[in-house]
Amino acid sequence: MKTKTAPILSLVVIGLLLVFSACEDQITNTYTYRTMLPVYLEMSDVRARLIAPEPPQPLDNPGKIYIYGDYLLINEPTKGIHILDNTNPSNPVNLSFIPIEGNIDLAVNNNMLYADNYADLLVFDISNLRNIQLIKRVEDVFASQYTQQTGQIVTFKDTVITTESPTWGGRPGTGWLMLSDMSFRANFSAASQSYGMGGSLARFTLMNAHLYAVDQSTLRVFDVKDAKDPKFIKPVDLGWGIETIFPFQNKLFIGSNRGMHIYDASTPSSPTRMSVFEHVLACDPVVVNENHAFVTLRTGNTCWNGVNELQVVDIKDPYKPVLVKAYTMLNPHGLGLAGNYLYLAEGQHGLKSFNVSDVMKIDQNQLEFLKSMKSVDLIPGPKSLIVIGPDGVCQFDYSKPAQLKKLSCIQVKNPVIIN
Amino acid sequence: MRKILCLLIGLYFSCVKGLAQEKMFYSQTELGFMLGKSGEDWEGKHQKRIGLSFQSFHGARINSKNVIGFSVGLDRYDYLSVIPIAMGYRGFLGKEGKAQLFGGLDLGAGSMLLEKKEETEWSKSWYEGGLLFSPMAGFRFPSRKGKASLSMTFAYKRQELSYFWGQLDQRTTITPRSEGLLPPGFHSVSETASLFHSFVFRVGLMY
Repeated sequence: MKTKTAPILSLVVIGLLLVFSACEDQITNTYTYRTMLPVYLEMSDVRARLIAPEPPQPLDNPGKIYIYGDYLLINEPTKGIHILDNTNPSNPVNLSFIPIEGNIDLAVNNNMLYADNYADLLVFDISNLRNIQLIKRVEDVFASQYTQQTGQIVTFKDTVITTESPTWGGRPGTGWLMLSDMSFRANFSAASQSYGMGGSLARFTLMNAHLYAVDQSTLRVFDVKDAKDPKFIKPVDLGWGIETIFPFQNKLFIGSNRGMHIYDASTPSSPTRMSVFEHVLACDPVVVNENHAFVTLRTGNTCWNGVNELQVVDIKDPYKPVLVKAYTMLNPHGLGLAGNYLYLAEGQHGLKSFNVSDVMKIDQNQLEFLKSMKSVDLIPGPKSLIVIGPDGVCQFDYSKPAQLKKLSCIQVKNPVIIN
Repeated sequence: MRKILCLLIGLYFSCVKGLAQEKMFYSQTELGFMLGKSGEDWEGKHQKRIGLSFQSFHGARINSKNVIGFSVGLDRYDYLSVIPIAMGYRGFLGKEGKAQLFGGLDLGAGSMLLEKKEETEWSKSWYEGGLLFSPMAGFRFPSRKGKASLSMTFAYKRQELSYFWGQLDQRTTITPRSEGLLPPGFHSVSETASLFHSFVFRVGLMY
């Protein structure tokens, strides 16, 4: 290249650089968030669909667990129920799956499986688990599922959305969309991360030939003396924020996010309120023995109180429950009582066991703290302690309460996170 | 990002290894400023952006007119510090020992190592660097004695970077993963992606 052209070239190049540089900076905002998108369903369409058992399916996001003899029934929230042979707790075998839309909870009474199907209660004959049959549909018993405006069922699908628009006016995503952790369905789902019989987060329970089902504000009573033909008796208004139900000695202990309701169910068809043990806003599963109720309060979900406690409530006089003592915990979720031993799911912090024979010294009688066993709920079953956590459904030999021995873990298809 | 950096550094060393003779090495260290124009503010106006730019390029001569190497430095974009790391090329026009015209290209990424990540009970925020592209032209003025030369560089620099603010999922129940759309444990994440176009002027020394 000739030296005379070099200055010209340099000027051209620098000019081009200047032109490029004249572009203004660009800023792009994207907002990715989890929300619950509404999905509207006609109940007539739901009823028209055939419900028949399917081949076993991997556990995706297990919810309630119900122990039925040698079998485990595991709810897949809003999708259906897995049936597993748990003859050997060290090696549970997945047998089949019953697809039930909108299913949140289940209970078994004399070989009859009760399961909710949005607004309806279904009855399956499971006396032969290889030939499960839908024998009854009790319609419109969970009427709160209907939207008043359209008469349709509205469900909310957990969805992740990315938008270029970062705000919706105020907190993003709170316009007509619902935050996933605020919806009732999510509350159902959250509560459903648990285990039917004995599970402290159950919403269906059986006692004295009656099925009791709670939603966020109502206790629904069914007469199931004829197990094949449950009869809806009546709804009992409970107030807002109902989360769990636990039966014990003709009483129903109902956990709400404001306290624990104690109902006298000695007249099974007509439970009456005995008392309400109120506390600050918190999520509170309950388990009970003859003298005491054990209640966990935790932060998170719609429970913003900032308290993480195990509370022991004296219920010798169920009309006057009295707080005996509160113990600080890390983030307690579900809990289970087996004799004098209390097992407590500490969320992402692990799993604890206590000897609670002296309720004033529970903190001094912690037996074990398995930090690696993240857990949200548990059920002390006849064969094993069943624990649900991010790794799936694990079973422990708890014949030595101070030395839990892991027997098996049923892996879930999609690993989950505990916050 | 890290993969790109490793690839660039690996490529550099694989090139330089075969050329490792003392006189073959080349370095260029410069300090200057960057000029840019911000996007429209709420009044529809643009603000000028000016920031410091430091760069140190080290390479090996393929022949007397061409050099390949890598550069590191420090760039300031308003209140942000970016460490640019790039593979680079320099080519020279003109006779040795006289003023020369040179051109070059840097291609790499900006690192946000100097910007702190912030974390609270409810949220996390952090920066991530992005692609860096910088063509340049300049002059080399050799000194009468010694090996050093004065350099004067004009460049265009395109730098991407992103700011993330994530709201942690406060649900204490287990939640399914979001199939890659959201990082695990987050309820929402907002990303502010910035693309900076700058005119760069730097002066320094070449060896």
